[in-house]
Amino acid sequence: MRPQFSIIIFTTLTGMAQGLLFAIAFLDFPAQIFSSAFLSKMAFPVALALLTLGLLASFFHLGRPERAWRAAMMWRTSWLSREVIALPVLMAVTFIAYLYSCTSQIQTWLWFSLLITAIVLWVCTAKIYQCIRFIQEWSHPTTVINFTLLGLTSGWLLLCTLISLWQSNDNPPTSGIMSGIAVVLLFMALNLKIWIWRRNRELRPKSNLASATGIKDSNLRQISMGLMGGSFNTREFFHHQTDRFIRNLRRIILLCTYIAPMILMSYAVSTPSTLLLSLALLIHYFGLLCERWMFFAEANHPQNLYYQRVS
Amino acid sequence: MSQTKQLALVIDLNVCVGCHACVTSCKEWNSSGSAGPLTDLNPYGANPTGTFFNRVQTFEAGIFPNTQTVHLPKSCLHCEEPPCVPVCPTGASYKRKEDGIVLVDYDKCIGCSYCSWACPYGARELDQERQVMTKCTLCVDRIYSETLPESERKPACVLACPTSARIFGDVHDPESEASIAIRERSGYELMPEWETHPANHYLPRSIMETIEAARNDS
Repeated sequence: MRPQFSIIIFTTLTGMAQGLLFAIAFLDFPAQIFSSAFLSKMAFPVALALLTLGLLASFFHLGRPERAWRAAMMWRTSWLSREVIALPVLMAVTFIAYLYSCTSQIQTWLWFSLLITAIVLWVCTAKIYQCIRFIQEWSHPTTVINFTLLGLTSGWLLLCTLISLWQSNDNPPTSGIMSGIAVVLLFMALNLKIWIWRRNRELRPKSNLASATGIKDSNLRQISMGLMGGSFNTREFFHHQTDRFIRNLRRIILLCTYIAPMILMSYAVSTPSTLLLSLALLIHYFGLLCERWMFFAEANHPQNLYYQRVS
Repeated sequence: MSQTKQLALVIDLNVCVGCHACVTSCKEWNSSGSAGPLTDLNPYGANPTGTFFNRVQTFEAGIFPNTQTVHLPKSCLHCEEPPCVPVCPTGASYKRKEDGIVLVDYDKCIGCSYCSWACPYGARELDQERQVMTKCTLCVDRIYSETLPESERKPACVLACPTSARIFGDVHDPESEASIAIRERSGYELMPEWETHPANHYLPRSIMETIEAARNDS
Protein backbone atom coordinates (compact mmCIF):
# COMPACT_ATOMS: atom_id res chain seq x y z
CA MET A 1 0.00 0.00 0.00
CA ARG A 2 1.05 3.59 -0.47
CA PRO A 3 1.85 5.04 2.95
CA GLN A 4 0.09 8.35 3.56
CA PHE A 5 1.76 10.80 5.90
CA SER A 6 -1.52 12.08 7.30
CA ILE A 7 -2.37 8.60 8.59
CA ILE A 8 1.19 7.95 9.78
CA ILE A 9 1.21 11.19 11.81
CA PHE A 10 -2.33 10.62 13.04
CA THR A 11 -1.75 7.07 14.31
CA THR A 12 1.61 7.85 15.93
CA LEU A 13 0.54 11.10 17.64
CA THR A 14 -2.76 9.78 19.00
CA GLY A 15 -1.03 6.50 19.91
CA MET A 16 1.48 8.44 21.97
CA ALA A 17 -1.28 10.47 23.66
CA GLN A 18 -3.18 7.26 24.42
CA GLY A 19 -0.01 5.74 25.87
CA LEU A 20 0.54 8.81 28.05
CA LEU A 21 -3.05 8.82 29.31
CA PHE A 22 -2.97 5.07 29.87
CA ALA A 23 0.29 5.36 31.80
CA ILE A 24 -0.81 8.14 34.15
CA ALA A 25 -4.21 6.51 34.68
CA PHE A 26 -2.54 3.16 35.37
CA LEU A 27 -0.07 4.67 37.86
CA ASP A 28 -2.44 7.06 39.60
CA PHE A 29 -5.45 4.71 39.65
CA PRO A 30 -4.49 2.56 42.69
CA ALA A 31 -2.75 5.30 44.70
CA GLN A 32 -2.42 8.97 43.89
CA ILE A 33 1.18 9.77 42.97
CA PHE A 34 1.01 12.71 40.55
CA SER A 35 0.32 16.22 41.79
CA SER A 36 -2.77 18.02 40.49
CA ALA A 37 -0.53 20.79 39.17
CA PHE A 38 1.50 18.32 37.10
CA LEU A 39 -1.65 16.79 35.67
CA SER A 40 -3.45 20.07 34.93
CA LYS A 41 -0.47 22.05 33.66
CA MET A 42 1.61 19.35 32.01
CA ALA A 43 0.21 15.88 31.36
CA PHE A 44 -3.37 16.60 30.26
CA PRO A 45 -2.59 19.68 28.12
CA VAL A 46 0.14 17.72 26.31
CA ALA A 47 -2.20 14.75 25.77
CA LEU A 48 -4.98 17.03 24.49
CA ALA A 49 -2.57 18.84 22.17
CA LEU A 50 -1.33 15.54 20.71
CA LEU A 51 -4.87 14.24 20.22
CA THR A 52 -5.90 17.51 18.53
CA LEU A 53 -2.87 17.46 16.23
CA GLY A 54 -3.63 13.83 15.37
CA LEU A 55 -7.25 14.69 14.62
CA LEU A 56 -6.15 17.56 12.39
CA ALA A 57 -3.68 15.32 10.55
CA SER A 58 -6.40 12.76 9.88
CA PHE A 59 -8.40 15.36 7.92
CA PHE A 60 -5.61 15.68 5.36
CA HIS A 61 -6.21 12.10 4.35
CA LEU A 62 -9.75 12.82 3.15
CA GLY A 63 -10.69 13.86 -0.36
CA ARG A 64 -13.69 15.73 1.01
CA PRO A 65 -12.77 16.85 4.55
CA GLU A 66 -15.84 19.10 4.79
CA ARG A 67 -17.99 15.96 4.91
CA ALA A 68 -15.93 14.30 7.66
CA TRP A 69 -18.85 14.37 10.12
CA ARG A 70 -20.62 11.78 7.99
CA ALA A 71 -17.93 9.24 8.92
CA ALA A 72 -19.58 8.61 12.29
CA MET A 73 -22.70 7.15 10.66
CA MET A 74 -21.86 3.50 10.03
CA TRP A 75 -20.48 2.47 13.43
CA ARG A 76 -22.45 -0.77 13.26
CA THR A 77 -20.27 -2.19 10.51
CA SER A 78 -17.19 -0.01 9.99
CA TRP A 79 -14.14 0.12 12.28
CA LEU A 80 -13.20 3.42 10.66
CA SER A 81 -16.53 4.83 11.76
CA ARG A 82 -15.98 3.46 15.28
CA GLU A 83 -12.57 5.13 15.36
CA VAL A 84 -14.14 8.41 14.28
CA ILE A 85 -16.39 8.16 17.36
CA ALA A 86 -13.77 6.78 19.77
CA LEU A 87 -11.29 9.61 19.22
CA PRO A 88 -13.60 12.50 20.23
CA VAL A 89 -14.84 10.39 23.16
CA LEU A 90 -11.26 9.99 24.40
CA MET A 91 -10.69 13.72 23.90
CA ALA A 92 -13.84 14.52 25.87
CA VAL A 93 -12.91 12.18 28.74
CA THR A 94 -9.40 13.69 28.80
CA PHE A 95 -10.88 17.18 28.88
CA ILE A 96 -13.18 16.26 31.78
CA ALA A 97 -10.18 14.79 33.60
CA TYR A 98 -8.29 18.02 32.89
CA LEU A 99 -11.14 20.10 34.40
CA TYR A 100 -11.19 17.87 37.48
CA SER A 101 -7.42 18.13 37.87
CA CYS A 102 -7.68 21.96 37.86
CA THR A 103 -10.02 22.05 40.83
CA SER A 104 -9.85 18.79 42.72
CA GLN A 105 -8.56 15.27 42.63
CA ILE A 106 -9.43 12.87 39.84
CA GLN A 107 -11.84 10.20 40.89
CA THR A 108 -11.43 6.51 40.25
CA TRP A 109 -14.23 6.29 37.69
CA LEU A 110 -12.53 8.96 35.58
CA TRP A 111 -9.19 7.15 35.59
CA PHE A 112 -11.04 3.99 34.73
CA SER A 113 -12.84 5.69 31.80
CA LEU A 114 -9.49 6.96 30.50
CA LEU A 115 -8.01 3.45 30.59
CA ILE A 116 -11.00 2.00 28.75
CA THR A 117 -11.32 4.71 26.08
CA ALA A 118 -7.59 4.63 25.35
CA ILE A 119 -7.75 0.86 24.79
CA VAL A 120 -10.93 1.16 22.70
CA LEU A 121 -9.26 3.68 20.38
CA TRP A 122 -6.22 1.41 19.92
CA VAL A 123 -8.48 -1.49 19.02
CA CYS A 124 -10.56 0.63 16.59
CA THR A 125 -7.50 2.06 14.84
CA ALA A 126 -5.76 -1.28 14.41
CA LYS A 127 -8.95 -3.15 13.47
CA ILE A 128 -9.39 -0.83 10.48
CA TYR A 129 -6.41 -2.61 8.97
CA GLN A 130 -6.73 -5.99 10.61
CA CYS A 131 -10.27 -6.56 9.31
CA ILE A 132 -9.23 -6.47 5.63
CA ARG A 133 -8.91 -10.23 5.27
CA PHE A 134 -7.10 -10.33 1.95
CA ILE A 135 -4.22 -8.10 3.12
CA GLN A 136 -2.59 -11.04 4.85
CA GLU A 137 0.16 -8.95 6.50
CA TRP A 138 -2.49 -7.03 8.43
CA SER A 139 -5.09 -9.70 8.97
CA HIS A 140 -3.67 -11.00 12.24
CA PRO A 141 -4.22 -10.18 15.96
CA THR A 142 -0.63 -8.87 16.20
CA THR A 143 -1.80 -5.74 14.35
CA VAL A 144 -3.81 -4.64 17.42
CA ILE A 145 -1.05 -5.71 19.81
CA ASN A 146 1.60 -3.84 17.83
CA PHE A 147 -0.43 -0.59 17.70
CA THR A 148 -1.12 -0.86 21.44
CA LEU A 149 2.42 -1.75 22.47
CA LEU A 150 4.03 1.04 20.42
CA GLY A 151 1.45 3.50 21.77
CA LEU A 152 2.48 2.41 25.27
CA THR A 153 6.22 2.69 24.63
CA SER A 154 5.95 6.19 23.12
CA GLY A 155 3.49 7.32 25.81
CA TRP A 156 5.70 5.93 28.57
CA LEU A 157 8.81 7.66 27.18
CA LEU A 158 6.80 10.88 26.92
CA LEU A 159 5.68 10.54 30.54
CA CYS A 160 9.29 10.02 31.69
CA THR A 161 10.32 13.16 29.80
CA LEU A 162 7.40 15.23 31.11
CA ILE A 163 8.14 14.23 34.72
CA SER A 164 11.79 15.18 34.38
CA LEU A 165 10.80 18.50 32.77
CA TRP A 166 8.54 19.28 35.75
CA GLN A 167 10.72 21.43 37.98
CA SER A 168 8.56 21.74 41.13
CA ASN A 169 9.08 19.37 43.99
CA ASP A 170 5.42 18.42 44.29
CA ASN A 171 5.79 15.47 41.91
CA PRO A 172 7.89 12.32 42.08
CA PRO A 173 11.08 12.56 39.97
CA THR A 174 11.67 10.14 37.12
CA SER A 175 12.81 7.06 38.92
CA GLY A 176 15.14 4.37 37.72
CA ILE A 177 12.20 1.97 37.86
CA MET A 178 10.28 4.00 35.27
CA SER A 179 13.27 3.98 32.90
CA GLY A 180 13.61 0.26 33.52
CA ILE A 181 9.96 -0.33 32.63
CA ALA A 182 10.55 1.66 29.41
CA VAL A 183 13.36 -0.74 28.50
CA VAL A 184 11.12 -3.73 29.19
CA LEU A 185 8.27 -2.30 27.08
CA LEU A 186 10.64 -1.50 24.23
CA PHE A 187 12.10 -4.99 24.40
CA MET A 188 8.62 -6.54 24.19
CA ALA A 189 7.74 -4.29 21.23
CA LEU A 190 10.98 -5.21 19.49
CA ASN A 191 10.31 -8.92 19.86
CA LEU A 192 6.80 -8.48 18.53
CA LYS A 193 8.08 -6.55 15.50
CA ILE A 194 10.67 -9.22 14.72
CA TRP A 195 7.97 -11.88 15.05
CA ILE A 196 5.66 -9.92 12.71
CA TRP A 197 8.39 -9.44 10.12
CA ARG A 198 9.22 -13.14 10.25
CA ARG A 199 5.55 -14.01 9.80
CA ASN A 200 5.27 -11.59 6.85
CA ARG A 201 8.30 -13.15 5.21
CA GLU A 202 6.81 -16.60 5.43
CA LEU A 203 3.34 -15.61 4.23
CA ARG A 204 2.09 -17.41 1.16
CA PRO A 205 -0.29 -15.23 -0.83
CA LYS A 206 -3.69 -16.86 -1.05
CA SER A 207 -4.39 -15.17 -4.38
CA ASN A 208 -2.31 -15.68 -7.49
CA LEU A 209 -2.62 -14.92 -11.19
CA ALA A 210 -4.49 -18.18 -11.73
CA SER A 211 -7.18 -17.39 -9.16
CA ALA A 212 -7.29 -13.71 -10.18
CA THR A 213 -7.99 -14.52 -13.83
CA GLY A 214 -9.37 -18.05 -13.67
CA ILE A 215 -7.24 -19.01 -16.67
CA LYS A 216 -6.21 -22.63 -16.24
CA ASP A 217 -2.58 -22.82 -17.26
CA SER A 218 0.50 -23.24 -15.12
CA ASN A 219 2.44 -20.85 -17.36
CA LEU A 220 0.50 -17.62 -17.08
CA ARG A 221 1.68 -14.02 -17.30
CA GLN A 222 0.25 -10.59 -17.85
CA ILE A 223 1.25 -8.87 -21.06
CA SER A 224 -0.81 -5.68 -20.66
CA MET A 225 -2.62 -4.02 -17.79
CA GLY A 226 -4.71 -2.15 -20.33
CA LEU A 227 -3.38 1.34 -19.67
CA MET A 228 -0.10 3.19 -20.07
CA GLY A 229 -0.40 6.46 -18.16
CA GLY A 230 -0.91 5.05 -14.69
CA SER A 231 -4.10 5.14 -12.67
CA PHE A 232 -5.40 5.08 -9.12
CA ASN A 233 -4.71 1.34 -9.16
CA THR A 234 -1.04 1.78 -10.00
CA ARG A 235 -0.54 4.62 -7.51
CA GLU A 236 -2.49 3.64 -4.39
CA PHE A 237 -1.48 0.05 -3.77
CA PHE A 238 2.31 0.15 -3.88
CA HIS A 239 4.98 2.04 -1.91
CA HIS A 240 6.96 3.06 -5.05
CA GLN A 241 10.36 2.53 -3.37
CA THR A 242 13.24 0.23 -4.20
CA ASP A 243 14.04 -2.99 -2.35
CA ARG A 244 17.24 -1.35 -1.14
CA PHE A 245 15.30 1.53 0.41
CA ILE A 246 13.02 -0.94 2.18
CA ARG A 247 15.99 -2.95 3.48
CA ASN A 248 17.72 0.15 4.82
CA LEU A 249 14.53 1.47 6.36
CA ARG A 250 14.09 -1.83 8.22
CA ARG A 251 17.51 -1.26 9.81
CA ILE A 252 16.63 2.32 10.70
CA ILE A 253 13.39 1.11 12.31
CA LEU A 254 15.20 -1.47 14.43
CA LEU A 255 17.79 1.07 15.49
CA CYS A 256 15.65 4.16 16.09
CA THR A 257 12.38 2.69 17.29
CA TYR A 258 13.82 0.08 19.58
CA ILE A 259 17.56 -0.32 20.10
CA ALA A 260 18.75 3.29 20.53
CA PRO A 261 15.92 4.20 22.96
CA MET A 262 16.62 0.99 24.89
CA ILE A 263 20.30 1.92 25.27
CA LEU A 264 19.47 5.51 26.29
CA MET A 265 16.83 4.37 28.77
CA SER A 266 19.24 1.82 30.25
CA TYR A 267 21.60 4.73 30.96
CA ALA A 268 18.67 6.66 32.39
CA VAL A 269 18.08 3.92 34.98
CA SER A 270 21.11 5.15 36.92
CA THR A 271 21.33 8.77 35.70
CA PRO A 272 17.94 10.09 34.57
CA SER A 273 18.57 13.45 32.88
CA THR A 274 16.04 15.47 30.88
CA LEU A 275 18.38 15.52 27.92
CA LEU A 276 18.77 11.75 27.88
CA LEU A 277 15.04 11.13 28.24
CA SER A 278 13.95 13.65 25.61
CA LEU A 279 16.59 12.35 23.21
CA ALA A 280 15.24 8.83 23.68
CA LEU A 281 11.71 10.10 23.04
CA LEU A 282 12.67 12.01 19.88
CA ILE A 283 14.61 9.11 18.37
CA HIS A 284 11.81 6.71 19.28
CA TYR A 285 9.19 8.94 17.64
CA PHE A 286 11.26 9.25 14.46
CA GLY A 287 11.58 5.46 14.44
CA LEU A 288 7.85 5.19 15.01
CA LEU A 289 7.13 7.30 11.90
CA CYS A 290 9.34 4.93 9.89
CA GLU A 291 7.70 1.88 11.49
CA ARG A 292 4.22 3.11 10.55
CA TRP A 293 5.39 3.92 7.02
CA MET A 294 6.67 0.36 6.74
CA PHE A 295 3.42 -1.04 8.17
CA PHE A 296 1.63 0.33 5.11
CA ALA A 297 4.43 -0.33 2.64
CA GLU A 298 4.79 -4.01 3.52
CA ALA A 299 1.08 -4.74 3.03
CA ASN A 300 0.58 -6.54 -0.27
CA HIS A 301 -2.75 -5.97 -1.94
CA PRO A 302 -4.06 -8.72 -4.26
CA GLN A 303 -5.28 -6.13 -6.79
CA ASN A 304 -1.62 -5.67 -7.78
CA LEU A 305 -1.89 -9.03 -9.56
CA TYR A 306 -3.89 -7.20 -12.22
CA TYR A 307 -1.30 -4.43 -12.60
CA GLN A 308 2.03 -6.08 -13.29
CA ARG A 309 2.95 -5.03 -16.81
CA VAL A 310 2.18 -1.83 -18.70
CA SER A 311 2.44 -3.47 -22.09
CA MET B 1 -28.43 -17.30 -2.76
CA SER B 2 -31.31 -14.95 -2.08
CA GLN B 3 -34.39 -14.83 -4.25
CA THR B 4 -34.10 -11.16 -5.18
CA LYS B 5 -32.69 -9.86 -8.43
CA GLN B 6 -28.93 -9.70 -8.99
CA LEU B 7 -27.96 -7.93 -12.19
CA ALA B 8 -24.53 -8.80 -13.51
CA LEU B 9 -22.32 -9.27 -16.55
CA VAL B 10 -21.16 -12.59 -17.91
CA ILE B 11 -18.05 -12.18 -20.01
CA ASP B 12 -17.17 -14.71 -22.68
CA LEU B 13 -13.37 -15.05 -22.87
CA ASN B 14 -13.72 -17.14 -26.04
CA VAL B 15 -14.76 -14.17 -28.12
CA CYS B 16 -13.29 -11.08 -26.44
CA VAL B 17 -10.78 -9.67 -28.92
CA GLY B 18 -9.38 -7.01 -26.58
CA CYS B 19 -10.53 -4.06 -28.70
CA HIS B 20 -11.28 -1.82 -25.67
CA ALA B 21 -14.61 -0.72 -27.18
CA CYS B 22 -16.26 -1.51 -23.82
CA VAL B 23 -13.68 0.68 -22.09
CA THR B 24 -14.23 3.70 -24.30
CA SER B 25 -18.01 3.36 -24.49
CA CYS B 26 -18.11 3.08 -20.69
CA LYS B 27 -16.00 6.19 -20.35
CA GLU B 28 -18.16 8.05 -22.88
CA TRP B 29 -21.49 7.15 -21.32
CA ASN B 30 -20.39 7.67 -17.74
CA SER B 31 -18.76 11.02 -18.50
CA SER B 32 -22.01 12.31 -19.94
CA GLY B 33 -24.49 10.37 -17.82
CA SER B 34 -25.64 11.04 -14.27
CA ALA B 35 -22.51 9.46 -12.75
CA GLY B 36 -20.02 11.72 -14.55
CA PRO B 37 -17.69 13.32 -15.23
CA LEU B 38 -14.91 10.77 -15.11
CA THR B 39 -11.95 13.07 -14.86
CA ASP B 40 -8.88 12.90 -17.07
CA LEU B 41 -5.76 14.63 -15.85
CA ASN B 42 -3.22 15.87 -18.37
CA PRO B 43 -5.16 14.19 -21.21
CA TYR B 44 -3.00 15.57 -24.04
CA GLY B 45 0.31 15.54 -22.14
CA ALA B 46 3.05 12.97 -21.89
CA ASN B 47 1.53 11.17 -18.91
CA PRO B 48 -2.24 11.21 -19.17
CA THR B 49 -4.15 9.54 -16.35
CA GLY B 50 -7.81 9.27 -15.65
CA THR B 51 -10.71 7.50 -14.03
CA PHE B 52 -12.14 4.44 -15.74
CA PHE B 53 -14.82 2.00 -14.60
CA ASN B 54 -13.72 -0.73 -16.94
CA ARG B 55 -10.38 -2.05 -18.15
CA VAL B 56 -9.35 -4.76 -20.59
CA GLN B 57 -6.22 -6.57 -19.48
CA THR B 58 -4.28 -9.08 -21.51
CA PHE B 59 -2.69 -12.30 -20.34
CA GLU B 60 -0.65 -14.93 -22.09
CA ALA B 61 -0.88 -18.60 -21.18
CA GLY B 62 1.12 -21.63 -22.19
CA ILE B 63 4.58 -22.21 -23.67
CA PHE B 64 5.43 -21.33 -27.29
CA PRO B 65 4.20 -22.48 -29.75
CA ASN B 66 1.16 -23.58 -27.74
CA THR B 67 0.34 -20.18 -26.31
CA GLN B 68 -2.88 -18.30 -26.21
CA THR B 69 -3.61 -14.65 -25.59
CA VAL B 70 -6.53 -14.03 -23.28
CA HIS B 71 -8.16 -10.63 -22.93
CA LEU B 72 -9.84 -10.14 -19.57
CA PRO B 73 -12.20 -7.18 -19.26
CA LYS B 74 -12.54 -6.20 -15.60
CA SER B 75 -14.96 -3.82 -13.93
CA CYS B 76 -16.74 -3.90 -10.56
CA LEU B 77 -17.99 -7.46 -10.11
CA HIS B 78 -21.00 -6.41 -7.97
CA CYS B 79 -20.22 -9.05 -5.35
CA GLU B 80 -23.02 -10.80 -3.52
CA GLU B 81 -20.95 -10.26 -0.34
CA PRO B 82 -19.19 -6.99 -1.19
CA PRO B 83 -16.30 -6.41 1.28
CA CYS B 84 -16.18 -2.74 0.23
CA VAL B 85 -19.66 -1.93 1.59
CA PRO B 86 -19.50 -2.66 5.37
CA VAL B 87 -16.18 -0.81 5.76
CA CYS B 88 -17.54 2.50 4.42
CA PRO B 89 -17.78 4.88 7.41
CA THR B 90 -20.43 7.13 5.86
CA GLY B 91 -22.78 4.67 4.18
CA ALA B 92 -21.95 6.20 0.80
CA SER B 93 -21.07 2.72 -0.46
CA TYR B 94 -24.08 0.47 -0.66
CA LYS B 95 -25.56 -2.55 -2.37
CA ARG B 96 -29.07 -2.07 -3.75
CA LYS B 97 -31.57 -4.55 -2.41
CA GLU B 98 -33.75 -4.44 -5.51
CA ASP B 99 -31.15 -5.44 -8.10
CA GLY B 100 -27.86 -6.10 -6.28
CA ILE B 101 -25.92 -3.27 -7.93
CA VAL B 102 -23.12 -1.90 -5.72
CA LEU B 103 -23.12 1.89 -5.91
CA VAL B 104 -21.42 4.92 -4.36
CA ASP B 105 -23.43 7.96 -3.32
CA TYR B 106 -21.09 10.69 -4.56
CA ASP B 107 -22.79 13.26 -2.32
CA LYS B 108 -21.97 11.30 0.84
CA CYS B 109 -18.48 9.98 -0.02
CA ILE B 110 -15.67 11.64 1.97
CA GLY B 111 -12.92 10.23 -0.27
CA CYS B 112 -11.11 8.27 2.44
CA SER B 113 -10.28 5.45 -0.04
CA TYR B 114 -10.90 2.79 2.61
CA CYS B 115 -13.37 0.92 0.35
CA SER B 116 -10.76 0.68 -2.39
CA TRP B 117 -8.39 -0.98 0.07
CA ALA B 118 -11.16 -3.39 1.00
CA CYS B 119 -11.78 -4.48 -2.63
CA PRO B 120 -9.44 -7.34 -3.64
CA TYR B 121 -10.12 -6.69 -7.34
CA GLY B 122 -9.08 -3.03 -7.53
CA ALA B 123 -12.47 -2.18 -8.99
CA ARG B 124 -12.71 1.25 -7.38
CA GLU B 125 -10.90 4.41 -8.41
CA LEU B 126 -10.75 7.69 -6.56
CA ASP B 127 -11.62 10.44 -9.01
CA GLN B 128 -8.71 12.89 -8.84
CA GLU B 129 -10.78 15.97 -9.52
CA ARG B 130 -13.97 15.25 -7.62
CA GLN B 131 -12.10 13.46 -4.79
CA VAL B 132 -14.82 10.85 -4.36
CA MET B 133 -14.67 7.11 -4.92
CA THR B 134 -16.08 6.00 -8.27
CA LYS B 135 -16.86 2.63 -9.77
CA CYS B 136 -18.93 0.78 -12.36
CA THR B 137 -22.64 1.48 -11.86
CA LEU B 138 -23.72 -1.22 -14.31
CA CYS B 139 -25.07 1.83 -16.16
CA VAL B 140 -27.88 2.13 -13.65
CA ASP B 141 -28.98 5.32 -15.45
CA ARG B 142 -29.31 3.44 -18.78
CA ILE B 143 -30.89 0.17 -17.83
CA TYR B 144 -33.92 1.76 -16.17
CA SER B 145 -34.15 4.72 -18.54
CA GLU B 146 -37.61 5.45 -19.86
CA THR B 147 -36.38 7.77 -22.61
CA LEU B 148 -34.07 5.27 -24.31
CA PRO B 149 -35.55 2.69 -26.68
CA GLU B 150 -35.99 -0.62 -24.91
CA SER B 151 -33.25 -2.35 -26.90
CA GLU B 152 -30.72 0.19 -25.58
CA ARG B 153 -31.56 -0.29 -21.90
CA LYS B 154 -28.35 -2.22 -21.32
CA PRO B 155 -24.93 -1.18 -19.99
CA ALA B 156 -22.93 0.82 -22.55
CA CYS B 157 -20.14 -1.80 -22.58
CA VAL B 158 -22.59 -4.55 -23.54
CA LEU B 159 -24.00 -2.53 -26.45
CA ALA B 160 -20.51 -1.56 -27.67
CA CYS B 161 -19.00 -5.04 -27.72
CA PRO B 162 -18.55 -6.01 -31.41
CA THR B 163 -18.29 -9.73 -30.63
CA SER B 164 -21.12 -9.93 -28.08
CA ALA B 165 -18.69 -11.11 -25.44
CA ARG B 166 -20.72 -9.45 -22.70
CA ILE B 167 -24.01 -10.89 -21.54
CA PHE B 168 -26.09 -8.73 -19.21
CA GLY B 169 -28.82 -10.16 -17.03
CA ASP B 170 -30.20 -11.33 -13.72
CA VAL B 171 -28.00 -14.14 -12.41
CA HIS B 172 -30.62 -15.06 -9.80
CA ASP B 173 -33.17 -15.84 -12.50
CA PRO B 174 -32.31 -19.39 -13.61
CA GLU B 175 -33.95 -18.79 -17.00
CA SER B 176 -32.00 -15.63 -17.89
CA GLU B 177 -29.47 -15.73 -20.71
CA ALA B 178 -26.74 -14.89 -18.16
CA SER B 179 -27.67 -17.75 -15.80
CA ILE B 180 -27.93 -20.25 -18.64
CA ALA B 181 -24.49 -19.21 -19.93
CA ILE B 182 -22.96 -19.63 -16.44
CA ARG B 183 -24.63 -23.01 -15.99
CA GLU B 184 -23.99 -24.53 -19.39
CA ARG B 185 -20.54 -23.11 -20.07
CA SER B 186 -19.06 -23.42 -16.56
CA GLY B 187 -18.94 -19.71 -15.77
CA TYR B 188 -16.57 -18.93 -12.91
CA GLU B 189 -15.80 -16.18 -10.38
CA LEU B 190 -12.55 -14.21 -9.96
CA MET B 191 -10.63 -14.83 -6.71
CA PRO B 192 -13.17 -17.26 -5.23
CA GLU B 193 -10.82 -17.71 -2.24
CA TRP B 194 -12.09 -14.54 -0.55
CA GLU B 195 -15.73 -15.61 -0.61
CA THR B 196 -16.95 -12.30 -1.98
CA HIS B 197 -19.15 -14.21 -4.45
CA PRO B 198 -18.84 -11.85 -7.41
CA ALA B 199 -22.05 -11.55 -9.41
CA ASN B 200 -20.09 -11.05 -12.63
CA HIS B 201 -18.90 -14.32 -14.10
CA TYR B 202 -16.43 -15.30 -16.79
CA LEU B 203 -16.90 -18.03 -19.40
CA PRO B 204 -13.64 -19.97 -19.76
CA ARG B 205 -11.87 -20.44 -23.08
CA SER B 206 -12.68 -23.71 -24.76
CA ILE B 207 -10.81 -23.10 -28.02
CA MET B 208 -7.54 -24.70 -26.88
CA GLU B 209 -9.32 -27.85 -25.76
CA THR B 210 -11.10 -27.94 -29.13
CA ILE B 211 -7.83 -27.60 -31.04
CA GLU B 212 -6.22 -30.22 -28.84
CA ALA B 213 -9.10 -32.61 -29.44
CA ALA B 214 -8.96 -32.00 -33.21
CA ARG B 215 -5.22 -32.70 -33.20
CA ASN B 216 -5.72 -35.94 -31.35
CA ASP B 217 -8.46 -36.99 -33.76
CA SER B 218 -6.44 -36.41 -36.92
